[in-house]
Amino acid sequence: MHASASAGSAREGLRRRVQGWRAYAGFSPALVLYGGFFLAPIVLIVLYSFWTVENYNVVHHWTFENYTYFFGTSTYVATMLDTLWVAALATALAIAAAFPLVYWLARYVSPARRRPLLALIIIPFWTSYLLRVTAWSTILGPSGVLNKALEGIGLIGGPLGFLLYNRAAVILVLVYLYFPFAALTLFAALERFDWRLLYAAMDLGASPRRALVKILLPQIRPGMTTAVIFVFVPVIGEYLTPQIVGGTRGVMIGNLVVNFFQGAQYTRGAAVSLLIALFIGALLVLTRKRLNLGPTHGT
Amino acid sequence: MALEGADIVAPRKRLIRAGLASWATLVYFFLFAPIVLLVLFSFNANKYGTLPITGWTTHWYTDAFNNEQIKEAVEETLKIALEVTAIATIVGTCAAFPLVRSHIPFRSGLRVALILPILIPGLLIGVSLLTFFTSVLHVMLSSQTAVIGQSVYVTPFVILVVASRLEGFDRSLERAAADLGASSWQVLRRIVLPLLAPAIVAGALFAFTLSLDEFVITLFLIGGGNTLPIYIYTQVKFGITPEVNAVATILIAASLTLGALGLALPILIRRVRNTSAFGRRPRTAIAPATARR
Repeated sequence: MHASASAGSAREGLRRRVQGWRAYAGFSPALVLYGGFFLAPIVLIVLYSFWTVENYNVVHHWTFENYTYFFGTSTYVATMLDTLWVAALATALAIAAAFPLVYWLARYVSPARRRPLLALIIIPFWTSYLLRVTAWSTILGPSGVLNKALEGIGLIGGPLGFLLYNRAAVILVLVYLYFPFAALTLFAALERFDWRLLYAAMDLGASPRRALVKILLPQIRPGMTTAVIFVFVPVIGEYLTPQIVGGTRGVMIGNLVVNFFQGAQYTRGAAVSLLIALFIGALLVLTRKRLNLGPTHGT
Repeated sequence: MALEGADIVAPRKRLIRAGLASWATLVYFFLFAPIVLLVLFSFNANKYGTLPITGWTTHWYTDAFNNEQIKEAVEETLKIALEVTAIATIVGTCAAFPLVRSHIPFRSGLRVALILPILIPGLLIGVSLLTFFTSVLHVMLSSQTAVIGQSVYVTPFVILVVASRLEGFDRSLERAAADLGASSWQVLRRIVLPLLAPAIVAGALFAFTLSLDEFVITLFLIGGGNTLPIYIYTQVKFGITPEVNAVATILIAASLTLGALGLALPILIRRVRNTSAFGRRPRTAIAPATARR
């Protein structure tokens, strides 16, 4: 009797364990995809960054040389700092451009007209990233739209060369590319804001500006943080924009990675990749409590 | 709520409002000018793909349609997009279930881990996978390696779309079906999947569009092949031609159509279902009333 009961409970336990595992079965395809083709390559890059290249072959010789080389070369360090500076500026400009727009949308536009206007912000997101970058070289280039138009109305004699292939052009295009991210996350935050709080603050004697700074801004801070992350993080890893509109003066850290890999300096490229990934990881960990990682587009 | 104060608008406030509205107009202009110009130049007879507009033509489109390289790139792009959509939709939908429903420890951490491929720059995914394929797996780069790379990047989007729908899912429907004797497989097939279908379809369309437009990861992993974005990229290096603008316009039109479908389809499915499920009800409700008369 005892024996059969314990056998029964053992079988029950097994059944429960199987059911427990079955609850996680849905993860198995993802485990294969992420484990095999996301995690494993990252682990490989980590290993690479501590190995060296000899005669175009990676040899398993443990060293910090890739990192010391990167931080010991002033142009690389300068490029890294430039990248951070460009990313910070692009983020600030994208948010500065987006905030008045979404403030207007959320506060002064009727809900019926708001939907199409929001959809208009999403549309560029639905058009090819590559095309949105290259379109700018047709605008800013020597025989581009801007130069031709200015020549056409007689404002300038010859094409202006300073429009393209510099850092300003890179920042402009980055703001253009990531503006929808900033606008949509800020709008999501402002949409939930109860505007009566502003009136209440002003009734209690606050000036409109003080009410905005003391009441509105603290309330939408999570949305702000999310917007900053959504713009800053992808910009850090940008490589196409500086390549197409930046020329030699607009180089960013992503271009260094590509140059290293193209030059068969795999381990150095791996070290720079890892630095970027670590920096982004640190940012995400630091801001995780405020981050709103729900879906911002789609349904 | 915003309109409550509309009747007591002070001149200063009206000025702020006008300022904000004009800023908004400027921003919209900034957002659309590049895209509109691109489309405009694809119809411009000027063969340098810039101003001035020397006449209207569809010549560049016939050129593009007769270009063998473009034809091959289109085929490759569609083939890759279909495979990526299949992989991402299956993997993403399967993962969304335990992510939302199981009592797995560290769920929020897991959620971040699952959407990490979106947060990490495509450049790093491309470079690390390239290294992995060539030096560990020793496989030749091909459209298949590009499919795998794109799937890693696209799957998180499907997970986000399906998981957000699952979170608002009324589980009493499943319990009711189970009480009425349905097996767990029947519950899944007859109750859960049909209700989830709009989100899965939206996720799939989203995946397809993302794959069509994907550039960075594909560039590293495709080897000698060409997708449409890769083709455009190689052409742009030698200066933008109106033919490239025509291809670009077609690509934009395709993405926009799919994007709009992705937004509209779930609504349409719901509407069709509602009318077919409840459409007859008012008639039967009216019937006794007319009979009484």
